[in-house]
Amino acid sequence: MMERTICVWYPTWALRRPDVPDDRPSQAVDASNKVVACNNLAIESGVSVGMQRRAAEALCPTVLTVVTDETADMTRFEPVVSEIEAIVPRVEIAAPGLVFLPISGAVRYYGGEAPLVERITKELAEFGGDYRLGLASGPFAAYQAVRMTTQSTAEFIVADDERFLAGLDVGTLASQDLAATFRWLGITTLGALADLPKHAIVSRFGTQGLDAHRLARGLDRSVDPRAIPQDPAVESSFDPPINDFEQASFVARNLSQRLISGLAFSGIAPHRVIVTATAGDGTVRSRTWRSADPFSDRTLADRVRWQLRAWIDGVSSGIRGGLVTLRLDPGDLSGSGRQMMLEEDAGSFEEMQRAFVEVQAIAGADNLLVAAPQGGRDPGQQVQWTRWGDEPKPPTHDPDAPWAGRIPSPAPALVPPEPVLFDISWVDGMPEHVRLKSRWVPVLSWAGPWRTVGKWWNGESTADRYQIVTSTGAYLCEIRDDTTYLIAVYD
Amino acid sequence: MVASLQRENRAIGPFPVDLSVERGMPDTSPLHIKDLFSLAPGQVAGLSGIPGSGLTRLGLALIAPYARSGSLACIDVRGWMSPAAAWDMGIEPERLVVVRSNDIVTWGRIVATLLDGLGGVYAEVPQGVKDASLRKLVAKARTQRTPLVLRPVTGELPRGMAHLHLRAREVIWEGTDAGHGRLRTRRTLLDASGKSTRGMERTIEIEDDGSDDLRVIPHVVVPGSQGLARFA
Repeated sequence: MMERTICVWYPTWALRRPDVPDDRPSQAVDASNKVVACNNLAIESGVSVGMQRRAAEALCPTVLTVVTDETADMTRFEPVVSEIEAIVPRVEIAAPGLVFLPISGAVRYYGGEAPLVERITKELAEFGGDYRLGLASGPFAAYQAVRMTTQSTAEFIVADDERFLAGLDVGTLASQDLAATFRWLGITTLGALADLPKHAIVSRFGTQGLDAHRLARGLDRSVDPRAIPQDPAVESSFDPPINDFEQASFVARNLSQRLISGLAFSGIAPHRVIVTATAGDGTVRSRTWRSADPFSDRTLADRVRWQLRAWIDGVSSGIRGGLVTLRLDPGDLSGSGRQMMLEEDAGSFEEMQRAFVEVQAIAGADNLLVAAPQGGRDPGQQVQWTRWGDEPKPPTHDPDAPWAGRIPSPAPALVPPEPVLFDISWVDGMPEHVRLKSRWVPVLSWAGPWRTVGKWWNGESTADRYQIVTSTGAYLCEIRDDTTYLIAVYD
Repeated sequence: MVASLQRENRAIGPFPVDLSVERGMPDTSPLHIKDLFSLAPGQVAGLSGIPGSGLTRLGLALIAPYARSGSLACIDVRGWMSPAAAWDMGIEPERLVVVRSNDIVTWGRIVATLLDGLGGVYAEVPQGVKDASLRKLVAKARTQRTPLVLRPVTGELPRGMAHLHLRAREVIWEGTDAGHGRLRTRRTLLDASGKSTRGMERTIEIEDDGSDDLRVIPHVVVPGSQGLARFA
């Protein structure tokens, strides 16, 4: 059985910010406009977590909406973590407002679970806010316990873990696809799943099924039999010390990539990472971060960045003398490392990542780009650019929409970021010559005009587009407000 | 012989016979650019010609086979490159990274770094890059066994640097008329030279309809150029 663990959760932590008043309905949404937290006034109006922002605002038009800012949330959460850490030294942060405390050592010190819980709740009460506490064996059960709490009953202590887990719905598993399959097979609770023979689950559902079966039986993830590097930790030292947060964030990303790609080489990934920073005055600060899913380089870089910001802006007056050393120690390693593609090897992946990080440092983060196709009529609209390493942006033009009037294939290879002025001489309404640099070149043939009607209510005008062919190539141009622009070159 | 073969196989139904092979006629089946100009690992191709001659698509076609086993990078000097042309070439969006850089000081370092870690690099060369820098990159590509396509924004690469040098001579578009139709197919006349052509300059014509393959029009290949098939 797993170690007894306390889970402390602030369900509305994202709303605990100075610009959110207590006396009006409020909700916090994430980058995908999904509600991640809402206060009681909003709940009374029908708003719930997981709802889309638009639906929530339709139910409660007066709701105040804020977008979550994990970095700022973590900065505000840091004092709470510090207080808890004074009672239980092993604090593992999962997100701003959610921590896990393995308490086997602390229970002995405080003389039992009840006195320890009493002590922690007393400290939490001083901070105020809607905090919840769950106690069970292992992080999974503790998290499920804390989810059972309500505002009036803020604590849930599980005495019989086996019985508690047996009564949980299979929907509590991380994979909803797997849960749906279990339901379809008539397995609706974790108890029913735990009763099934392990070999049957493994043969039918593989590793994912095995992990679910272990969770249902009160165990944690499967122990990975692979050889794990002796010292997988990564560390960077800086001379002179780093005083700029942006620079520290860049280092955090670089270090996270090194750690995750190094572990991925062995086919493993961490569920827990200890972030240790040494300041110029010799102070060493350390925090443990936990994740239910294995950390990826991006998720880990985010957490390291949040933590650094929390230390810098926190009540403990920052990192004095600048950041001298940053170290990431992985723990709780599992075999859920990144799955390589066919014909791809881990070594080349690592080299590629390293090359991209280096190029980003030379050319600047804004100049290393990846692109994704999206909808749109013009070639420039059909590409969604994202900085390498950032989360892909949602498409600005619906890729599934028909986009009548879009420029037909073949796609032009060169598209200027902004339309470029283009000279065409016309005779009787037909293009005769185009000017390329200083010389006029005869037009051999052309197609068009294809008219597009812009959003006139936004001040956009209509435009006529032409494909112009000369002896040196073909060009896509647009005539808008009596001015001709080059919008693409078929190169 | 053909008649006897047909007689023998009459019992089992129609039997396709390639008369051109039987009579020693030249093979007129379509020749693809990847058959003719596949860049081996570490080889360098140089492209020259003005924008509009189809060299971006051609350059991407040369390194596209390497997207199956790794990522590709394009160095975009003008800031105009559109990845849609690469996607049409069969390169998956997640396998393509575009680096925008027109700084001749850092350009060489960027290309060198990318040669270290990627499957293939297509690089536009900004004006003013020294020959010595280009030669270092060619050597680096050879050492790292990474195919490299260099496309000077103006002018040409120095002689003898590229394994294969392609210069666009003429472009003809089909599909458009006086206001009718749309662009469909481009035919580009190219002069090919370099070690790949054993030092001889040859003229070829390629046809590009925007799909993931560029076809070579066989009749344009000058007589005695069957060795082109051994470029790879």
